[in-house]
Formats: sequence, C-alpha cells, structure tokens
Amino acid sequence: MDISNGVNPALLIAIPLGLTFAIPLCGFISKRIGEYIPILGMIFNLVVAITLIPRVIREPIIVSLGGFPPPFCINLMADPLGVFLAALIALIGLMISIYATDYIKKGATQNYHMLYLLLLVGATGIVLTGDIFNLFVFFEILCISSYALVAYDGDKPGIESGMKYLIQGTVGSGLILMGIALLYGKFGTLNMAHLAQNIHSTTPLSTFLPLALLITGFGVEAALFPLNAWLPDAHSSAPSSISAILSGIAIKMGVYAIIRIIFTLFGASSLFHFILFLGLFTLLVGELAAFRQNNIKRMLAYSSTGQIGLIIFAFGLASTLGIKGALFQMTSHALAKALLFLAVGYMIYRSGSIKINSLAGMGKKMPLVSLAFAIGVFSLIGFPPFVGFSSKFLIVKATLAQHDSVLTILLGFVLLATIIEGAYFLKVIQTIYFKDTAQQTVQPWQGTSLAALIPICILMVLIVGIGIYPEVLSKILNAAAGMLLDREAYIRNVLP
Amino acid sequence: MIYYVGSFGLIIIGLYIVLTKRNLIKVIIGLDLFETGIFLLLICTGYVKGGTAPIFSNAKLTSALMVDPVPQALVLTAIVIGVATLALALSLAIRLYHHYGTLDLRKIRELKW
Repeated sequence: MDISNGVNPALLIAIPLGLTFAIPLCGFISKRIGEYIPILGMIFNLVVAITLIPRVIREPIIVSLGGFPPPFCINLMADPLGVFLAALIALIGLMISIYATDYIKKGATQNYHMLYLLLLVGATGIVLTGDIFNLFVFFEILCISSYALVAYDGDKPGIESGMKYLIQGTVGSGLILMGIALLYGKFGTLNMAHLAQNIHSTTPLSTFLPLALLITGFGVEAALFPLNAWLPDAHSSAPSSISAILSGIAIKMGVYAIIRIIFTLFGASSLFHFILFLGLFTLLVGELAAFRQNNIKRMLAYSSTGQIGLIIFAFGLASTLGIKGALFQMTSHALAKALLFLAVGYMIYRSGSIKINSLAGMGKKMPLVSLAFAIGVFSLIGFPPFVGFSSKFLIVKATLAQHDSVLTILLGFVLLATIIEGAYFLKVIQTIYFKDTAQQTVQPWQGTSLAALIPICILMVLIVGIGIYPEVLSKILNAAAGMLLDREAYIRNVLP
Repeated sequence: MIYYVGSFGLIIIGLYIVLTKRNLIKVIIGLDLFETGIFLLLICTGYVKGGTAPIFSNAKLTSALMVDPVPQALVLTAIVIGVATLALALSLAIRLYHHYGTLDLRKIRELKW
C-alpha cells in the first residue's frame, strides 16, 4: 500500500506524457531529436514496469491522485495484471519506436512521434487506472491518436479507413460514455472498486443495460465479431509500424477493458459462456476471412481478429489456467504480430506491392527479414519451440481441465481454426521461399537499415527464448490470473 | 424524466443520421448530435430541480438542494474529447474530398472485404 519506497507507478503515465509534449519543443533545437524521444520514454517505462513486478506480486500498489482517499479520488491500481500489461506495452512500443526512426521518413514526422507516444500513454493508462471515467479518458486518448495515425500517409485508402475507424470508434466510445452515465446515475460513484462493491445491491436487470453498453463500446475497439468491420481496413492501410502497434497493443486494450468490466466490475459469471461463444465466433470468422485474402497486410489484420477471438475464448473459461493461457496468448500474439508487421513492412517496401504473389522469391533477396516472417508465422500457428506453442498448449490444457463435453467440442472448433490459420500462412511461406520470381521489379534499395534489424532480431530472440523457457512468465501470470478472479481482494485493496 | 426522454431522443436521432445518411458531413453532424445527447444524459443524472451550486454560501442551503458537480466535470471532459474527435473527423473529410472530389459515401469505396 505504501508508495514511499520505490518508484511511484503514476510515473509510468506521467513521464511519457510529459515527453510527448517535449517533442515539438525539442523540434526547435533539431528535427531529429523527436524520433528518439519515444525510445527514451519506452525504455523508462520498461525498466520501471519490470522493477515494479516483484513488488506488485507481493501486494498491489494503490496511488491516490490528489491526496483524497479512495473512493473520493481518482486512483491508480497497479496490480500484477496491469503492471504486466504495462511492461508488455513498453516492450512492444520500444521495438516499434526503434523501427520507426528509419521507417517513417516522409510527412510530418514530429507529429507522428507525438501521436505514437500519446497512443502508448493511453494504453498504459488503461491498464493502470482504477476509475471508470479515467479509463474512458485514456481510452479516448488511445483511440483519437490511432485514428490520426491510421490516416498518417494521407493516401486514398489511409484516409478512407481512418474515417471509417473514426466513425465506428466514436459511436463505440459514445456507448461507453452512456454506460458510465447510467452507472453513475445508479450508484453515484465512478471508482471501480466502489462500483464493484455495490453492484450486487440492485437487481441484475437494472445493471444489464450499462453492462451491455460498455461491452459493445469496448467491443468496437477489441474488434469482436459483429463489430470488427473497421479493423481490416485500418490495419492494412496504416503505415506498417502503426499496423504493428494497433495489432500488437491497441486491440488488446479493448479486450482488457471488457475483461476488467466483466470480471472485476460486474462479477457477471453468467456472461462467461457468452464471451466463450463470442470468442469462438470471432476466431472462426477472422480465420476464414483471412484465408481468402491476397493482400498480405489484410491477411495479417484478419488473423489478428481471429487471435483476439482465441484470447476472449480463453478468458471465457474463467479458470486460473484459462486466464493464464489467455494472458500468455496475448503476449505471444503481441510479439509475433509486431514482428510480422515489421517484417512485412520492409518486404512491401522492397517489392513495392502488397499482393502476396509479389513476395515471391523474398527468401533469397531478404533472408533475415524472411526468416523473421517465418518465425512469426510459426509462432502464430503454434509450432514448438516458439512461444505460440506454449500459449496455445496452455489454452488447450485449460479447456480440457474443465471436464465438460461441450467445451471439448468447442475446443475442436478452436483447433480447426488453427488448421485454417496454418493453411493460409504456410501458403505465404511457400510463396516467399519456394516460388520463382516471374517478373523482376527493380526498386531503389539501399539495404535494410540497422534500426529496422535491431527490433526484428530482438523480437525473434524473445519469441524463441520465451518459447523454450515459458516458465519465465509463469509467476507474474499466476499472480495476474489470481487477481483477476478474486474480486474481493481487488475491492479490499482499494477500500480497506 | 422529461430530460431523460429528451437526451435519449437526441441519441437516437444522432444514431439514425449516422446509419442512414449518405453525405459524410451529415454523418459527422449525426455523430455530434449523438455525443450531445450523451452529455445531456450525464447532466441529467446529477440535476436537482431548483438546486444550486454546492458551495456553502448561506447557512440555509442543505445538501438536498445541491446539484451534483461530478457529472458536470465529466461532461466538460467529454466535450473536450468530442471537440478533438470532431476536428479530426472534419479534417479527414477535407482530405477525403481532395482525393475523391465528393463527400457521397456511396462513391467512396476503395476498400472492401
């Protein structure tokens, strides 16, 4: 509880936020400094989040902003789940900001780096906050900066998909705000622990409408099945570094918010089966849609939808093992999808086209980037020894541990989706490595730069490393899963 | 009660415009109406008829006559967010017009499934 010793978790939000607005100021000195500020911010966040992990496993840290005790203040809740996700955001954010120093050359680069850092601030705020309106504000920071970043290139598809994303996202966040208004009208509080304490004092029917509004609103950002129309456009038209951060981090924030609301805020155990099926539908639709794409970035975008479905499915199991599997899958998907988009970004740069066929022969032309692509794909499909195997294996184990025949049948569908995933991804691998190049389009090419290779190599090492030794995450994941399932502990920690 | 009806009315009108209109500017206006409806809904939750600001300026003022200040603070925040979204939407609409020469959503169809 005491925040006197060690680092204050509020710095995880404050320092990057301050640095964001330092970027235009540094622009007066030199235009190039702005590129390195996101790296600085994310190194700070990564170090702080990792040093916080042992402390929050012992006891969650509550930071009361403004000096009032909860529930009267806005409080930050640095529990194992939040700090773990903050570390993941910082890691992926760091990799992509290193990549972007070289990748983003044209346009208003300062604005790009500002918005990018702001997006990461929003994501970090979402996972750390303990106040539902604060959650909404950080969510909007995340969303508005991602709308602008999707349209960063200013070309036809970029602007159009940015507009689509904006309209759908705004309706979604409007629904969230409506849900918050109804909750406030009912309970007169915005503190999540205080709401969770009082939520069962009324009939379930009267909290149903806010719950439905909140899930639908956050579901737009999480790209759950009927609400995912924006995702393939936005992820495929954005610059590759932005596609990577959207797929790796932004959509998971929607999932995090839904999970927090269902598990902690409402304790709605009757909804677990609903999200189980929702996840399964999202998984199947995403993988089937990805199967028939011939645009590589669109394929990856639909595959993200599918993977989000799998994560939601695993959360729906609502057992410690299932939630552990879901969080592990979040990690492995973030690593693999970031790697894939970064690698594909350079392949597209080289071949000048986003069609899968134009990637033929890349295995010879760009061996290291193709290797990175292959590792990312193998990890997503779930081949050992990559990290995707451990996470999918954990989900399968968790499903079977429930000893429920319906769940076993559903697991069959999940594995079917994995086979579809394997089918379309291996087709791409075959094109890259074994297909002869029919026509040679000559692009001006100076070789892949060091700034692009460093994050790609680090991500490859992490995917293989964690895949071989998954125990490294087990302690924090156990603590996070335990915390998510234990509402009473959450309430007790905030309101002693 | 009448305030709730009014705010939900605005929300429904806004959603209807977003869903049915073909002109991008009208869709953006619809989004704004939708948001305004939600702001009114938030304000309603804290409204007290004949109430006043919760400042102890005279001794007779009881808490029953005070308007809840929290929703107003929330709405201020939400309005700022709404302005940011609206500004971004309009600037995107300008860029879209430069590319296509039209704001008719039926003609802007670069991306499909």
